[in-house]
Amino acid sequence: MSLLNRGNKPVETRVDSLPSRALLWLMASFALLLTPQIDRLPVWLIIACIALAGWRWLAQLGRVRLPGRWLRGGIMLALVAVYLIGVQGSFTVDTAASFFVLTVGLKWLETRTSRDFYVLFYILVYLATVNFLFHQEIHWALVNIGAIALLLIGLQVLNAPELPGGVKAGWRRLGVMLLKVLPIVVLLFVFFPRMAPLWSVPLVSGQARTGISDTMRPGDISSLAQSSERAFRVTFGGAMPQYRDRYWRGLILDTLDNGTWRQSGYEPYRRPGRVNVDGGVGDLKPNEYDVLMEPTDQRWAFALADSVAVSDNVVQEADNLFRFRRPADSPIRYRLALQNTGETATETLEQREAHRYLQLPAEGNPRARILAGELKGSTGDLGVIRALLNRFREQPYYYTLRPPQMPDNGIDSLLFDQKRGFCAHYAGATTFVLRAAGIPARVVVGYQGGESGAGGDYLIVRQYDAHAWVEAWVEGQGWIRIDPTAAIAPDRIESGLRDAVAEEGSFLENNWASAQRYGDVALIQWASLQLDRINYQWQRWVVGYQGQSQMDLMSRLPGGFGMRELGYLTAGIVGAGLLIAGLVSALQMRRGTSRDRYRRVLDAWYQLCARAGVPVRHGETPSTLASRLAAAEPAVADSARLFARMVNSHYYKHQATGGGKSDDKGEATRLRRLLVTMRRQLRRSGKNRPAAFRATKPDSGKQID
Amino acid sequence: MNRLFRSRWQRWINRRIPRSDVQLLTQRNLFILPTAAGVVFGMLLLIMLITGINYQNSLIYLVTFLLGAVFVGAMHQTHRNLSGLELTLVQAGEGFAGDDIVFRLRATAGKDDAIALTLSANDLSVAVGYVPSGQSVDVALPVPSAYRGYLRPESIRIETRFPFGLLKAWSWMRPMAAGVVYPRPIAAPEVLSTLADGEQTASSRSPEGNDHAELRPWREGDLSQRVMWKRFARSGQMVVADWEADKGSPHWLDFNAFPGADHELRLSYLSWLVLERGRAGARFGLNLPGQVIEPDSGAAHVTRCHRALAVWGEEKPRDAFAEPHGTRTGMDTSRSGNAMAGERS
Repeated sequence: MSLLNRGNKPVETRVDSLPSRALLWLMASFALLLTPQIDRLPVWLIIACIALAGWRWLAQLGRVRLPGRWLRGGIMLALVAVYLIGVQGSFTVDTAASFFVLTVGLKWLETRTSRDFYVLFYILVYLATVNFLFHQEIHWALVNIGAIALLLIGLQVLNAPELPGGVKAGWRRLGVMLLKVLPIVVLLFVFFPRMAPLWSVPLVSGQARTGISDTMRPGDISSLAQSSERAFRVTFGGAMPQYRDRYWRGLILDTLDNGTWRQSGYEPYRRPGRVNVDGGVGDLKPNEYDVLMEPTDQRWAFALADSVAVSDNVVQEADNLFRFRRPADSPIRYRLALQNTGETATETLEQREAHRYLQLPAEGNPRARILAGELKGSTGDLGVIRALLNRFREQPYYYTLRPPQMPDNGIDSLLFDQKRGFCAHYAGATTFVLRAAGIPARVVVGYQGGESGAGGDYLIVRQYDAHAWVEAWVEGQGWIRIDPTAAIAPDRIESGLRDAVAEEGSFLENNWASAQRYGDVALIQWASLQLDRINYQWQRWVVGYQGQSQMDLMSRLPGGFGMRELGYLTAGIVGAGLLIAGLVSALQMRRGTSRDRYRRVLDAWYQLCARAGVPVRHGETPSTLASRLAAAEPAVADSARLFARMVNSHYYKHQATGGGKSDDKGEATRLRRLLVTMRRQLRRSGKNRPAAFRATKPDSGKQID
Repeated sequence: MNRLFRSRWQRWINRRIPRSDVQLLTQRNLFILPTAAGVVFGMLLLIMLITGINYQNSLIYLVTFLLGAVFVGAMHQTHRNLSGLELTLVQAGEGFAGDDIVFRLRATAGKDDAIALTLSANDLSVAVGYVPSGQSVDVALPVPSAYRGYLRPESIRIETRFPFGLLKAWSWMRPMAAGVVYPRPIAAPEVLSTLADGEQTASSRSPEGNDHAELRPWREGDLSQRVMWKRFARSGQMVVADWEADKGSPHWLDFNAFPGADHELRLSYLSWLVLERGRAGARFGLNLPGQVIEPDSGAAHVTRCHRALAVWGEEKPRDAFAEPHGTRTGMDTSRSGNAMAGERS
């Protein structure tokens, strides 16, 4: 309660030195800049920011007082402590951005002068910059630029508190300015040389995101199935593969441990390398495809089977998997090519590998092991696989997004009791049975399917397309894909999750806001796809305009620009832009100030007089100047007097009648002609006189009278 | 080195901006530079560019270029704010030394609106605000004064930082006309005029002659001759005798009535006396060496007397004298020389 100012104490006067309307713009901008981060920031931070900004605003209104130094220090220490506990020593752009937000929040409490205002301005501009690292969609770009525009309006209000013409004039001024500079911005954007990263920078985010993780517990993927977030988008150089062939392999889980599948044998990366977003340029060849992946903060890339890397930001690793050099902390584009290789068939599985893919826990799920023994007894490896899939097909197994809890011996209860599960359950169980039967097998996690984007020229794969299936080693054939889900719910593989769980009605049941949930409403579907197409083009051509893309574009232009030429070109653009702008303003100026033609002629005359040694004095009339000129240079006496008379008559007549426009022109021309005559006369008289005489110091304004 | 540079710069400015009471702001005489905030903004842009390069983020490039272009656009806007503006010194002010002398100026905007202007002279500034295109606004600009005489600000600065405060455009006006600063009034001791003025003098003079004296404590402005030094030696008290008999004609305020006092002090006494007489509404005349103002009364007369006191011995500043007025360095000697020469009895 001590914070409340009960009116008897004056509010600190310096608070008033900052126009409150300017502060309002700053706060609006801050709020707008927080929207792209709202899902990322810790809740306490958002609440603290709102509270601090509210406090500042109430202080501006005079309702409360700003905290004193001690209280402010205390608040700062407390919030920073909470922040440090939350961060736990990890340094990413994400934590840095949170810190910026915290700084801005704390800064509200001591925003008193215009200097503080500028500090906030800088931080907020940089916050907008950082926002671009998290979201690059066109609408977020507009939000960020809009927030910067709000800041610029705030600066206008700060610098002209009365703001003539109101905020509307401020917007118009800003808009006109932006329109004028837009060509230069576009040219710079295209031609500014895109250098390689100067040094390795921290990751954008260290937080887990929605998406596939490197462990699989039964039920993980079914929670992922409730998300309609985009995973990646693909453009094919040739024809799109059939729906049932769209298996996007991500990673391999080979170790079953306490009901959880995890991967082993992969080294975690030590430090993130430099950012490399060069995802290949030029037209796609028929066998190539181009993937634009949303950030996962993981290193794995998704690829169809039998692919090879084309772009150099993605590397092929063991088991035909692909990895990025640096975790995908922002949207990343890469290019792969399909290649039919039959060579793997001839290879044999190494002993070490076989051991790895036959690993099983020592005990548990006894009925599954017995089943494996039974199947093994009848035929060879392929026979076991076929028999298992037939079992799934013939017996009443269900594919469901609402699987029951199966805590103990989960595989046994899935296979023999419940018979209800999601792809992860069936993939895990199948791998278990195959391994128990002595067939090397592994769980593959990735995506399956994907819907066509607007126009049908690219594919959108969403989180609910996440899928798990099995690969088994068959002597003579190598690794073959086995998908138990295809046996249980062929719809899932043929046309996607929506159809597979249509009866159950569980598709995106917890996700009310998703446009995909209303896939049967044509308008929503259409709008969502169009928006996606715009964003896809935006991300490919504007956001993805980097290094190689620029070089590719430049190589298509005549002249063959290299990096150095681009540098020169950029400097040229900036220089030319400044020059043109300067010239334009100079011309405007000239037109503005010497609208009066006489003024120009008079100026020329004054110059002539000054050269002749009679500089014009302050407040001198044309006739007195003329008589002085006549005294100094008798040769021009008559012309000078005539000139003065004409000037006089012009100005007086102008006042009397208003003066005709065409008449004006003639007079000015006559004056100019007279001036030329005088100049000639002066030159001629100058020649007749000795040079020493002309070199006398001109009378520098010392009054004779 | 710095001083040399400064004086060069000043000379260059003075050439560029001649003394005039009307100043049209054009490219010739307008200056524009980034403010401290603008410099920091430039550094911020650099940091943003590096961020964009290291994260290979095109949108950061884009927003950096956009803000850079806005900076250049702001340069034009700030420049346009002032260019075409005409600044006129309407009236140079008058007042007492030590006060702020108010100069009246008129700002007339040209083709463009002039927004958020500030006028300043000698660290005192006043906001002009907004001048719509083609219209004019009158401003009263206080100029601090220290000494009597002509007060002509070396320069009056007009500045704007609109729209973003990242750049400032400014120019100077070097006014031709000078304000008049009256001597600071200092309470004068009672004095007599040496000017013989017939019957008036006779009637006001006390018949007791030198016999009747009033003793009062010393106060600032009393002449040292009139301190009773013997008494001071005895008691340590500075006491001054006011000789009734010394009272001169109250109708004439005389420069020569304060023998031994410095010229400036005399002028200050006279300034105070003029103020007193004027307040009382009395008739009085002013006798200065080289100038006599016949007795009269009224506000205009008071002003006239004050002006005469202010500019006594001073030469009206012209452009030929480049030294700043209102400073006194090295001028006392010349002034006293002038005063001697101008003294007539």
